[in-house]
Amino acid sequence: MSTAAGQIFAASSSDGDGGGFGFVFLLSGFLFYGAIYLRYRNVDKRHKHESETQATLQNVQEHDAFVTSKKGLTNRSMSGANNTAVRGMLRKFF
Amino acid sequence: MENIDPDIPQPVEADATNPVSADAVPPVTKENEPRVVLTDADAKDGLAKCARCGATEIALNVATGMLRCGFCRFEWTADNAMEAFNLNGDISGLTGIVVGSGSSDIVPTTEEVLTFKCSACGAEVVIDTNHSTQARCHWCRNTLSMNQQVDNGAVPDMILPFSVEKSTAVERIAKFVGKRKFFAHPTFRAEFNAENVMGVYLPYMVVDINAHARLSGQGEHQTRSYTVKVGDKDQTRYDADLYDVVREFDMHVNDLTVESSSDRIDQNTSQNSNNIINTIMPFDVENSVRYDSNYLAGFTSERRDSNLDQLSPIAHTQAEDVARHRVNSTLTFYDRGVRWSEEEVDVRGQRWVSAYLPVWLYSYQQRKSNGKTFLHYVAVNARTGETMGSVPLHQSKLLLVSGIVQLVGTVVGLVLVAVGI
Ligand SMILES: [Zn+2]
Ligand SMILES: [Zn+2]
Repeated sequence: MSTAAGQIFAASSSDGDGGGFGFVFLLSGFLFYGAIYLRYRNVDKRHKHESETQATLQNVQEHDAFVTSKKGLTNRSMSGANNTAVRGMLRKFF
Repeated sequence: MENIDPDIPQPVEADATNPVSADAVPPVTKENEPRVVLTDADAKDGLAKCARCGATEIALNVATGMLRCGFCRFEWTADNAMEAFNLNGDISGLTGIVVGSGSSDIVPTTEEVLTFKCSACGAEVVIDTNHSTQARCHWCRNTLSMNQQVDNGAVPDMILPFSVEKSTAVERIAKFVGKRKFFAHPTFRAEFNAENVMGVYLPYMVVDINAHARLSGQGEHQTRSYTVKVGDKDQTRYDADLYDVVREFDMHVNDLTVESSSDRIDQNTSQNSNNIINTIMPFDVENSVRYDSNYLAGFTSERRDSNLDQLSPIAHTQAEDVARHRVNSTLTFYDRGVRWSEEEVDVRGQRWVSAYLPVWLYSYQQRKSNGKTFLHYVAVNARTGETMGSVPLHQSKLLLVSGIVQLVGTVVGLVLVAVGI
């Protein structure tokens, strides 16, 4: 349960920037339900084909060109970043 | 035919609607159609006899991974499929589409290996009637009758023999469920018996892909982070450099494995728990041997009912995922991420082989109060032992306990919020 619960806690606490730890407790029943549901039903599990499939890259060519400097961004990561996206999932979840 | 069990459906004679195709005739190949590698030249019905005594009572000895003669105890193994068909040939030299004959479009045939439609759950189950196997559905354990026979699917190119013994699978399943007893549905708790596990060969396509990829977009590298005051609160701000990023490379994907039974491809978790079986991948498919139906003795299998044109899109999308994932090792400078706006993955060559892969399967059909049923599985990868499952929940008990947790949490939370933590 620790991992599933941990994921949920991490997920819910990261998007609430201004909130305190107290708000996590106000959701504790829902978080508990979700953690147990995932632990018993495992609907979130799948084969991670993108990392578990053998593959080699060859003749890698890299072209990188500076465009501009940005100041005062509020997001920790690039908006619209999709370099870790996975599209070939068979499961339909959420 | 020895050891005829009255419960076991027996093969029927071929007739006009059920022609026996004795020879391995590849489909007609036109110029742009796949090149077919014959993988079933002498393994069509797999009636290999014992080389020492000629007996046909042959089964897999899971402990050694070898076929074993029931009379003289002689043991041997089929050829490694990769070597026999030159399937591990250099992927970089792969062009066009190459398919094992077992992967070509399904031609209905009737052979010693027969397919039955389960009258209880509708699944199509393949039984090797040469052996005294249990003719039971591995999904719902209903006994199959010969009236339910349907046209057989294609014989696979290769098969990966079971190497995890049933006793080990029973232990793993019992342990998995044992850790999930408290909120399990009471009917399931009462009926659960890990001994009811069945050994099943499930159909997959194993794909090698030679591709050239070009990804282009933009990436951000963080140069500074600092806090600013907004009202009476501290907030974090970031400075970053933006770059145009291009990555171009050749990619060789080895043994990408996709489900080839249409039932198993559907992984809608609100309607089935097929994702459980998907989760126990990958298999060491490189150790597969040439298909020989003797490996099926004591196990059931499921027929492949999807052809290349149905499976290509998902395999190619997954290959693109592999490309996107792999190239991240060259993007560590872009610690804020990369946004690809164009992804071209040009598949130059692909090799498709159909395989039976071994799974120990505990299935449980939950009857819900609304009259519907839902099939839960606990599955064990019969090569690696990886175990995953779905256990039916006792909803009212879980809701009750969640309610109590919520009550306590609300009190604690209100106190913490009031204190200002
Ligand atoms: Zn013998
Ligand atoms: Zn059935």
